[in-house]
Amino acid sequence: MEKNIDKTSYDALVIGAGIAGGEAALNLANTGYKVLLVDKELSVGGKMIMLSKVFPTLDCSACITTPKVSEISRHSNITIFTGAQASNIRKIGEKEFTARINKQPRYVHIEDCTSCQLCEEACPVSVSDQYQYGLIGRKAAFIPFSICSPKAAAIDIENCTLCGACERACPTNCIDFTMEPEIIDIKVKTVVLATGFKLFDPLDIPRYGYGKFKNVITAMQMEREIAPTRPFNTILRPKDGKVPDKIAYVLCVGSRDASVGNPICSQICCMYSIKQAQLLMGALPMADVTIYYINIRSFGKGFEEFYQQAKGMGVNFVKGKIGRITEKENGNLILRYEDINSGKLQEEEHDMVILSTGVLPNEGISELFEGDTLGLDKFNFIGQSDALAGPSRTSIDGVFVAGTASGPMDIPDSILSAGSASSEAISYLIQHS
Amino acid sequence: MKKKKIGVYICHCGGNISDYVDVEKVRAAIADEGIVLLSKTTMFACSDSNQRDMVEDIKANDLDGVVVASCSPKLHLQTFQNVSMRADLNKYTYVHANIREQASWAHSDDKMGATEKAIHLVRAAIAKSRYAEALESTKVKAIKKVAVIGAGIAGLKAALSLSEKDCDVILIERNSVVGGHVAEFTSLSTTTETGYQIITRLYSEVLKRGNISLLTNSEVIENKGSVGNFSLKIRKITNNDNQEIIDVNVGSVLMATGFDSYTPGEGEYGYKSLENVITLVDFKKMIDSQNGKLVYNGKQIRDIVYIYCVGSRQSDGGNTYCSRNCCTSTIHASIIARHKFSDINNYHFNRGIRTYGKQEILYAESLGSGDIYLQFNEDSIPEISVNGDKAIVKINDILSANREVEVEADLVVLVGGMVPRADNSVGSLFKLPKGRDRFYNEVHMKLRPVETAIDGITIAGACQGPKNITESVNSALAAATKSYSILSKGELETSPLIAVIEEDKCSWCGACQEACPFDAIHMEEKEGRTIAQINNTVCKGCGMCAPVCKPDAINLIAYSSSEIMSMIDALA
Repeated sequence: MEKNIDKTSYDALVIGAGIAGGEAALNLANTGYKVLLVDKELSVGGKMIMLSKVFPTLDCSACITTPKVSEISRHSNITIFTGAQASNIRKIGEKEFTARINKQPRYVHIEDCTSCQLCEEACPVSVSDQYQYGLIGRKAAFIPFSICSPKAAAIDIENCTLCGACERACPTNCIDFTMEPEIIDIKVKTVVLATGFKLFDPLDIPRYGYGKFKNVITAMQMEREIAPTRPFNTILRPKDGKVPDKIAYVLCVGSRDASVGNPICSQICCMYSIKQAQLLMGALPMADVTIYYINIRSFGKGFEEFYQQAKGMGVNFVKGKIGRITEKENGNLILRYEDINSGKLQEEEHDMVILSTGVLPNEGISELFEGDTLGLDKFNFIGQSDALAGPSRTSIDGVFVAGTASGPMDIPDSILSAGSASSEAISYLIQHS
Repeated sequence: MKKKKIGVYICHCGGNISDYVDVEKVRAAIADEGIVLLSKTTMFACSDSNQRDMVEDIKANDLDGVVVASCSPKLHLQTFQNVSMRADLNKYTYVHANIREQASWAHSDDKMGATEKAIHLVRAAIAKSRYAEALESTKVKAIKKVAVIGAGIAGLKAALSLSEKDCDVILIERNSVVGGHVAEFTSLSTTTETGYQIITRLYSEVLKRGNISLLTNSEVIENKGSVGNFSLKIRKITNNDNQEIIDVNVGSVLMATGFDSYTPGEGEYGYKSLENVITLVDFKKMIDSQNGKLVYNGKQIRDIVYIYCVGSRQSDGGNTYCSRNCCTSTIHASIIARHKFSDINNYHFNRGIRTYGKQEILYAESLGSGDIYLQFNEDSIPEISVNGDKAIVKINDILSANREVEVEADLVVLVGGMVPRADNSVGSLFKLPKGRDRFYNEVHMKLRPVETAIDGITIAGACQGPKNITESVNSALAAATKSYSILSKGELETSPLIAVIEEDKCSWCGACQEACPFDAIHMEEKEGRTIAQINNTVCKGCGMCAPVCKPDAINLIAYSSSEIMSMIDALA
């Protein structure tokens, strides 16, 4: 196996190491191209590695993501930078791009870390854990999550008090506070953008009480509660640790809603909510689960059958948009809604509410480019210059888009889109060699 | 012989296993089995960090083999074979035990029993490990040429993409023209180009490519061989109804055979029995070909009722699936009708509109322009009757508290979805598996959507399930990438796990040939005797032949009788 000796020159730069970026990188690497894969997070795997199970197969998400992650991590043609961001991407002539990689220091030498977690134990600082979506805390010296890759500690320098406890506790002396940000200027021949999406922040809809009422959580937080790497080892509501028995899902939170600036449908929320409802019915056999919806969009392969299965299991589907959520003293929540079937305004009490938040574009992607302009569509996703006959082509020849960076999509569609982007990138490399 | 030493890893699978199986008890129970030198439990055996530990363990302890007890081998057999290889072991020394699907998930109501069963399964794997030998795979040449079957939008794009990768393509189309359904689409919702223009753009590009040979009026009628070298016979109908047989060898086959449009049954919502009931396909042609006034059967059309989900989302008897594209397609057509013709009123009788993603904008536009949406459930479908030259369509509208609403329509448009091709002869030739919905089945719904259970055959476009144009093209390019990456190195490794004939025991009865699903066995004369012969590159090692062999002349490599018997003993 030949190692990439020149660290500044690659065939392809893939930005984003979620499932789309990972798939695109693997396709390129498997056909013999040298790939630099960068991700701003501390681990590869994107959002998929954080999920519980996937619809409609109910495969364990971690179990099907980790082999991909492992394959990506070990591929001799793939170099990975985590905690790194690309910028200043500029097309030079017809065959080359230059780019700058800004690599943030992890303050841990990855190759020496055995992920023994002694630094975590020693660290006196506790902050909210972003990888558990704020459900629990973590230390400032921490392993991002149990199946992260690379599996190594990191120091959250923003919150670190520089007390040195972790350094003293570390048996391999892998913690190093002298690490500096690195700037690496690279040359590549093609660029694949797999920058993914961000979830709608429900604080922007105050009438749902998120952030104020503790038992109103997001679906991503519920994903964490039911994932194999879950924080509590059971399902509970945050306010008092009670196991919920009457759970509500509110669909289209931040989607199909022009009032929050996002008129489009997020394409995945109906299905992930139905999946969670099924998993909750399995985990909490006595619990009632109600899904409040506008339209159920179970359009993909096996989805309609999955929806019917949820109905058969006893998940309660109510057609109606939630107007407002209020909290009772005991932490229960009153949902006020227009019940379309009866045509009346109704109120219903639940002890936990899950907001199925929508998919939004990540910001600042076009600012990564210099010279040529990377076009966006009217929803600020990366624009597709030939949406029907070449969906992964962008406004810049040689720059391709994979996965949800171009719009909402589920996992198989992301894989197809990544296949499409890597196909175009391989063709581009062959045609421009 | 040196005594074997192996390592055994019992996986928690983050609770998937350890919630029901006491993994520590399993570990303790097998720790003292003869050849077990080292035994460990692990949170996720497949995680990168555990894989790293395994490699270190193997090297540090000079292990001869490894057993991992975790999930299905379908998921991770390869993962751990690769771990073994990284530790300089032959990958066939690795043995997998499935204690998730076969123990924890199957017996979640009986933790003791699940643990007991897991112990037996691991013991059996250890028994097999005792006999597991190093095996070498052989390499065969891969022909760098792909047969793309179907020249609709998916097939055309796949062919172009392969051609750009310096891969030869033979593009086979049953009809006399290329373009499939898309060539018939005029206006499209996402661009100013028509479907016909897109197809023309791609077709003229195909004609420029020296490495694509396009065969129209052609069908594959025979398939032999396997990945790397499929021998296909193609029948081409030539000008005066003569036929020509073309033989071609390709390394991979990319299926892009598309879909059929659903045709309503006679009398379904008055189809064929009432004159003002037509399908969406016909409606689209009608609005494209007319200008000024919309006229049908000599009468001007003003009030149009669209009935959705005809032949889709049928809980019993019919197609259970949602056809994905019809909501958007109908709304787009209704918007065109409203813009193009005067005095059009659109009434959408639907079962919940599914304009997913950015297509939602069309729905919003339609609502904003005054289209009426009424919704029904499957158990209370709209009724159609006739009043003079009008159709009366009656619905119990969910959106207005089940009020009964009647619309007097000039035209009723039945929105049918996509159905699998009625003629599946080409799929049968390649033994392609189909799903519940009768579309071709991918090998893994989430992560491997274009690969199939048959090595070297990929699927693209709507033959795998309903898709719009963008989705079809993405899947075509993804399939092209997979087909190409199989062949790009020019050679392929074949698995050594195949059946072998003990020639002196065989006296040719033909039972094995009949049992073989891959046509890998044929009769041969050898030294005056008739015996069975196995084609090594075609044999998949499925084992169907071994039990039907009366003289016990067939052995499956790595599944020899001694291995299987020792496993059975361990399970008992």
